[in-house]
Amino acid sequence: MLNQQAESMFLFFSEIQEAKILDSDGFCLGRLYDILIEPIGKYAKAKILIIEKKGLPRSWAVVPWSVVSQVSKGCLRLNGKAREVIFAPLLNHKADLSIRRDILDQQVVDMNNQNVIRVNDIHLLMAEKDLVVAHVDIGLRGIVRRLGFEKFIDTLVRIFDKNSRYLQKLWLISWKHIQPLSINPVSMTIKVDVSQKQLNEIPAADLSEIMLDLSQKHRVALFKILDITTKSKLLCTLDFKEQKSLLEEIGEREAVEILNQLPTDEAVDLLSELPKSNVHNMLRLMESKNAKMLSTLLGYSGESAAGLMTTEYVAVPETASIEEALVLIKEKTPKAETIQSIFIVDQENHLVGSTVLRHLIIADLKDSVRKAAFKKTVSIYMEDEVKKIAFLMDKYKIYCLPVVDSSNVLVGIITIDDIFSRLVSIAWRRSKKKKHL
Amino acid sequence: MGKVKHNSLSIWGRMLLYLSIMGPGIITANVDNDAGGITTYSVAGAHFGYSLIWSFIPIVFALIVIQEMCSRMAVVTGKGLADLIREEFGVKVTFYAMVVLVLANIGNVMAEFSGIAASADLFGINRIVLIVCCAVFIWVLIVKGNYKSVEKVFLVACVFYVAYVVSGFVTKPDWNVIVSETLKPRLQWNKGYLFMLVGIVGTTIAPWMQFYQQAAVVEKGIKLKDYSYHRLDVIVGGFVVNIVAFFIVIVCASTLFKHGVRIETAKEAALALKPLAGPYCYLLFAFGLFNASLFAASILPLSTAYSVCEGMGWELGVNKSFREAPQFYSLYTAIIIFGAAFVLIPNIPLVKIMLFSQVANGILLPFILILMLRLINNRRLMGDHVNTKWYNLIVWCTVVMMIALSLMLLMPQGIFQR
Repeated sequence: MLNQQAESMFLFFSEIQEAKILDSDGFCLGRLYDILIEPIGKYAKAKILIIEKKGLPRSWAVVPWSVVSQVSKGCLRLNGKAREVIFAPLLNHKADLSIRRDILDQQVVDMNNQNVIRVNDIHLLMAEKDLVVAHVDIGLRGIVRRLGFEKFIDTLVRIFDKNSRYLQKLWLISWKHIQPLSINPVSMTIKVDVSQKQLNEIPAADLSEIMLDLSQKHRVALFKILDITTKSKLLCTLDFKEQKSLLEEIGEREAVEILNQLPTDEAVDLLSELPKSNVHNMLRLMESKNAKMLSTLLGYSGESAAGLMTTEYVAVPETASIEEALVLIKEKTPKAETIQSIFIVDQENHLVGSTVLRHLIIADLKDSVRKAAFKKTVSIYMEDEVKKIAFLMDKYKIYCLPVVDSSNVLVGIITIDDIFSRLVSIAWRRSKKKKHL
Repeated sequence: MGKVKHNSLSIWGRMLLYLSIMGPGIITANVDNDAGGITTYSVAGAHFGYSLIWSFIPIVFALIVIQEMCSRMAVVTGKGLADLIREEFGVKVTFYAMVVLVLANIGNVMAEFSGIAASADLFGINRIVLIVCCAVFIWVLIVKGNYKSVEKVFLVACVFYVAYVVSGFVTKPDWNVIVSETLKPRLQWNKGYLFMLVGIVGTTIAPWMQFYQQAAVVEKGIKLKDYSYHRLDVIVGGFVVNIVAFFIVIVCASTLFKHGVRIETAKEAALALKPLAGPYCYLLFAFGLFNASLFAASILPLSTAYSVCEGMGWELGVNKSFREAPQFYSLYTAIIIFGAAFVLIPNIPLVKIMLFSQVANGILLPFILILMLRLINNRRLMGDHVNTKWYNLIVWCTVVMMIALSLMLLMPQGIFQR
C-alpha cells in the first residue's frame, strides 16, 4: 500500500505537459505550457507555472506554483478562481531556468559520467505540495513516451522478451549531477546552479572533452563560469586551435589573468600561437616581472630549450644547510613544476650543483647541501634543441634538466613531460614515413 | 582580443582565406548533380531542347538563398539543423521529420547506386563488382578518414564535373540560340513541359542538403568574422552546380533533341550520345555519371546518420568507436548496404523507387523550409543575424514557390499515374 502511494508521487514532465489547468470551480483555464524551476540544494523546485491559452493570438499566464492544489496525470487544479489569472500575449522569463526551454530536449552536462547528453524527458517528484525535479530521462523509452507510444511499444517488447533491458532499466540521471547549459542572455554565461562547484571538480582532461562536444557559444559560456585555477588547467589540455578561439572570445583582460596563472612553458606555447599584435597587448597588461620573462622566452624557437622550459623550479643557495634547504623547498612547493630535482646556486644564481629530494631527506640535517649534490651536474643551454635534451635525459636517466644561459646562470628547467609530446610526434612521423617507404 | 580586421589583408591574403574556408558550399551544391539530377537534366535536354534552360537562373537564386540561411545558422549557433529542430520544436516534430528523411535518403542512395550500376554497364565492367567496390570504398573513406581529408577527396570530385562542361563544348552547340533561349524564355503551357520544370527544381533543392550543409559548416568550425568568405563559397557553389546542369542540358539538347531521340535514363542518354557526338563525349558523359553517383553516395548515408543521431541525442561522429556510437554506425552502414544490395536484385523496379524517394523528398522539403524560416527568425538563437525584412520577403516567396512546385511534383505522380 505504502509502496503504491510512493510510486504515484513520481511523474514525468511529458505526463503533465499540455495538462488541463482547472480552477477551484473546475473551470478550464488553459493548458500547462512550462514550469520555471529554482535550484534548492541538490534538487530544483518548481517555482512558477506558465499556462497557455490556445487561440489567435496565443496568450500566457504566469502563476506562482503555490496556488497549485492538486497534481495528477493530465490535470492540474488551482486554488484560486479563473478570473484572478491574467493572460498576456507576451511571455518573458529570460533569466529563470525553464523546463521547456532550458532542459527538455536540450543538451546538458552529466557531471557524474562527465559527458554531454540530451534530455528526453524529466522525472518529477511530488512531495507534499512541492514539485521537485528528481531525474532527467536520457533513454530511448523517454523518446517513446514523448511520442505517445509507450504502452504500445511496452506491450510489443513484452511479447518478445519479458525481461528485456528496455523495460527493466531506466536511463535516469539524478538532477544533482546535471548542469544545464542554457545561456543567460545578459551575462552570456551558463546560468549558474548550486552544482557549479561540481563542475570545477571534474578533472581538466575530462572537462576538455565535454567542451569539445559543445557548440562554440556554449563552450565560451561554460568556460566563463569556471574558477581561475580550473580555467588555466583546462586551457592547457586543449589543442592550439581551441585555445586560440577561446582566448579570442573571452577578451584580453581575462586572458591575461589566466596567463598569469599558467606555468611559463604553457604560457609561452600559447602566446607563440597568437598574432603578434595581440601578444604585445597582453604582455603590456601582465604583471611586469612575468611579462619580461615571457617576452624573453618568446624570442626563442618553440623547439629550443628556452621555448620549452618553465621558470617554476626549486633552487637553494649553496651556503644553506640541508635543514634550511628543506624549509625552502616546502615554501616553493605550491608553485614549482617539480620538487624531485633541486638545484644549488650561488649568490648570482649561477648553477653550481643539483640533487634530488630523496638525497636531502636521507641526509644529515646539519650537513651543507653541497654534500648531498651529485658529482656531476648536467645542464643545457637555452638554444639547445629537443633532440639533444632527449639524448641527455636518456643518457643520464634524469627527467629534469636545468637550463642555463651562456654565463651558467640558471634560468629554468625542462621536465620530461615538456618534451614528451614533441618526441611522440617526431616518432610518429618517422614510423609513418617508414610505412610509406 | 578584438576582432581581426580583414580589410587590412592584401588581395592574396583574402584569396588564401577564401580558399581555406571553401568547401561546404561547393560540395553541397555539387552533390546536387547526382544520378537523379543528371537523369532529369538529360531527359529535359533531350525532350525539350533549349527551351528549359532559362529556369536555371531562378534556380541559382533560390538555391543560394536557402543554402545561405543554413550556413548562417551553422555559423551563429554552432549547431546542426537537426539539433536546432529538436531543441526548438521538440521530439515529435524531430522524430517524424527524421523518419521521412531516412526513407527519402534510402531512396536517394538507391538512385545513386543505380547510377553506379549504369556507369558500370557503360564502361563494360561487371556491375556487381563495381557496386561492391564502391560500397566498401565509401564505408572505409568515412570511417577511416577525418573531415579534412574527406573534404579534400570531395573537392577533387567536384573538379571532375568539368567532364560535363567539356562534353558540352565537344557537341558544338549553337550559342546564339542558347543565349536567346536563356534571356527570352518561351514558356510552353503543356503538362509535359511543366512537369519537367518541376522535376528540375525538385532535384536541385532537396531536404538532405540543408542538413548536410549545416553540419559541414559546423564541423569546419567557421567563425562569424569569416562569414563573408563563406557566403562567397555558397554563392560560387550555387553557380557552379547550375553551370554543370546547364551544360548537361546543352549536351542532350544539341544532339539528342536535334535528332529526336527519346530517352528515359542517364544510361540511355549516354548510349544515344555515342553515335551522335562521338566516343569521347560518350566516355566523358559516362565518367561524369559515375563520379556524380559515387560522390553523392558517399555523402548521403553519412549526412543521414548524422542528422538522425543529432536529433535523437545519440552519440555520433566518425571519431567515435562503434561501442561509443552504436546507433550512428549501424544506421550509416545499414543505409549503404541497403542501397547497394537493393540495386543488385535483378528486375528491381528502379524507376519506381526513385519516384518514391522523390515523393518523400517533396513531402519533407516544405516542412524543413518552414522550420528553417522559423529558426532563422528566432532572435534568441540568432541575435542580430536574423533575416532582414526584405530578405524574409524574398525567402518566403522562394519557399512558397518551392512548396507549390513540390506539391505539383506530388500530384501528377502520386495521384494521376495510378
